[in-house]
Amino acid sequence: MADHTHDPPPGGALLVPVGESVTLRQTVAYTMEIAAAEEISEVHFVSPVAWHDVGDVELAVRERTQSLLDRVSVWAEEDAPADAPTIHTAVIGAEEYLFSPDDYADILARYADERGIKRIIVDPEYSPGGNVPLLRPMEVALAVRGFDVIEAPASRPVRRSRLTRPGGIAQFGLLFGISFLFYQLLGGFVIVTGDSFDFFYELITGTITAGLVAGALYTVTLSNRIRLRTLGKQLLRLGLYVPYLVYEIIKSNILITTIILHPKLPIEPRMTRVRSAVWGGPALTTLGNSITLTPGTLTVRTEGQDLYVHSLFQSARDGVADGALERAVRFVFYGRRAAAIPTPRERGDYVELQGPNAESEPDAGAEADVESEPDAETEPVEEEPK
Amino acid sequence: MTLTTAFLTTAAVLVVLAIAVLYRAVKGPTMQDRVIAVNVLGTNTVVILALLAVALDSESFLDIALVYALLNFLMAVAISKFTVKRGDVI
Amino acid sequence: MNEIRLGAIFVLLAGGVFFTFVSAVGVIRLPDVYTRAHTASQTDTLGAGLVVAAVVLAYGVETEVIKALLLLVFIFITNPTAAHAVGRAAYEEGIEPWTKGDERR
Repeated sequence: MADHTHDPPPGGALLVPVGESVTLRQTVAYTMEIAAAEEISEVHFVSPVAWHDVGDVELAVRERTQSLLDRVSVWAEEDAPADAPTIHTAVIGAEEYLFSPDDYADILARYADERGIKRIIVDPEYSPGGNVPLLRPMEVALAVRGFDVIEAPASRPVRRSRLTRPGGIAQFGLLFGISFLFYQLLGGFVIVTGDSFDFFYELITGTITAGLVAGALYTVTLSNRIRLRTLGKQLLRLGLYVPYLVYEIIKSNILITTIILHPKLPIEPRMTRVRSAVWGGPALTTLGNSITLTPGTLTVRTEGQDLYVHSLFQSARDGVADGALERAVRFVFYGRRAAAIPTPRERGDYVELQGPNAESEPDAGAEADVESEPDAETEPVEEEPK
Repeated sequence: MTLTTAFLTTAAVLVVLAIAVLYRAVKGPTMQDRVIAVNVLGTNTVVILALLAVALDSESFLDIALVYALLNFLMAVAISKFTVKRGDVI
Repeated sequence: MNEIRLGAIFVLLAGGVFFTFVSAVGVIRLPDVYTRAHTASQTDTLGAGLVVAAVVLAYGVETEVIKALLLLVFIFITNPTAAHAVGRAAYEEGIEPWTKGDERR
């Protein structure tokens, strides 16, 4: 992968990504056990950090990460065998914006490659970038990159769902508000139109229901920090974006209609890949969904910032390469200043994976094994035992 | 043509189209084809429910349509999520 | 005023039926999973959206109109997401996208 790969350390080395998790102590103990049993010479504990603001490094997060690493190295020395391996700790990814498990896997892979490390021990309860069901967990992303990934056999003190993340009062409040509004909506807003009995009835039942929903789910949904002012601005700009999107949808729908109803069916479907210049789950989701909604293009898969877009005809592909939607999404999420970035084609972030202009993959990674399966289509999917 | 007949006629046409889409659900050939077909069919059903809510003047149909829309979405996501055979990792 | 509203409803209904028809044709006629997912997510969404917009217009200013609007928003958010999920599943299955010259499947 990296061309400046060092020689691996003589006794072998282990890489352990660490972060706040309930089973961190056990993971450290397990790592040192392995190190003792196999006479490993180097153990690297690295903590990937995600700053929530691009370029705005937060001191508190940095201090917390450093104290976590200090704790880890103290533990490691406690458990260290007689001929102790060298213990390294590092904070990585501070200059980048990490949001998906794939991003974390990327920087971990880079760190490991630079030091010739082949084995990675992961904490089962540590899932950076979230464990969103539609994204690939970090462990899988690392395994795909060719590392030997071992999950530390930690028993969980309390069985806790891996979906949950810390949520605060703002998450609870917002979720409560949305649930309460939705409840009243299904009730036809009798709370406003009805008499005093209706008012109290709807108020009490609504509060109980919304409280149950918010109490059960506030750590699962809305997991990012909520900043109301930013959210307000984004909603305002979203209001400008929606009419534009609807216009685009109608315009290209007419185009696709003529193509579908054309007796010759003049389509040239092709898979393309765009590395989009938007960051963060909500922004990427909006972009992916907008691309899917605009006829002729379909987001098939996301990997970090890479969007795999299946397109039906040339003009649709050009639309993606020229990045009008991408610019609009940047405008919605980051304001007007962020809108002016070169188009994906100019950045060289647009690649056609099929057809005459197809380029061979520079990093034949995850997509190579998927694309080269010739007869996967005939597999009887329904018969999978479940 | 009154509004009610217009809505009922539209609903009837959509039913016919939904039956046509059923062809793809039966023929396949892959699981994903069937899911797509059933999803389109489900969207049609939601729209038909909304039309009937107006035509038959029964608002509860709108609630059903809302719930059906969400269920339809959940169906598509759940089936795509749980029928995929993963590669060699997980 | 009422005539205009009535006319708008008829136009929206006709447009909705037309685009739903196109999506049905697309789902039956297009050659592979990905291309079919295109019509499922897009043409069908527009068709459904237009018809539900007609329903919104027919309700006018009653409280039900909010439900109908919410239905519209749901359709516009969930349909492409579902199509993406299906497309992704197909891609992870290893189904190769159809290209010009391949056989229909």
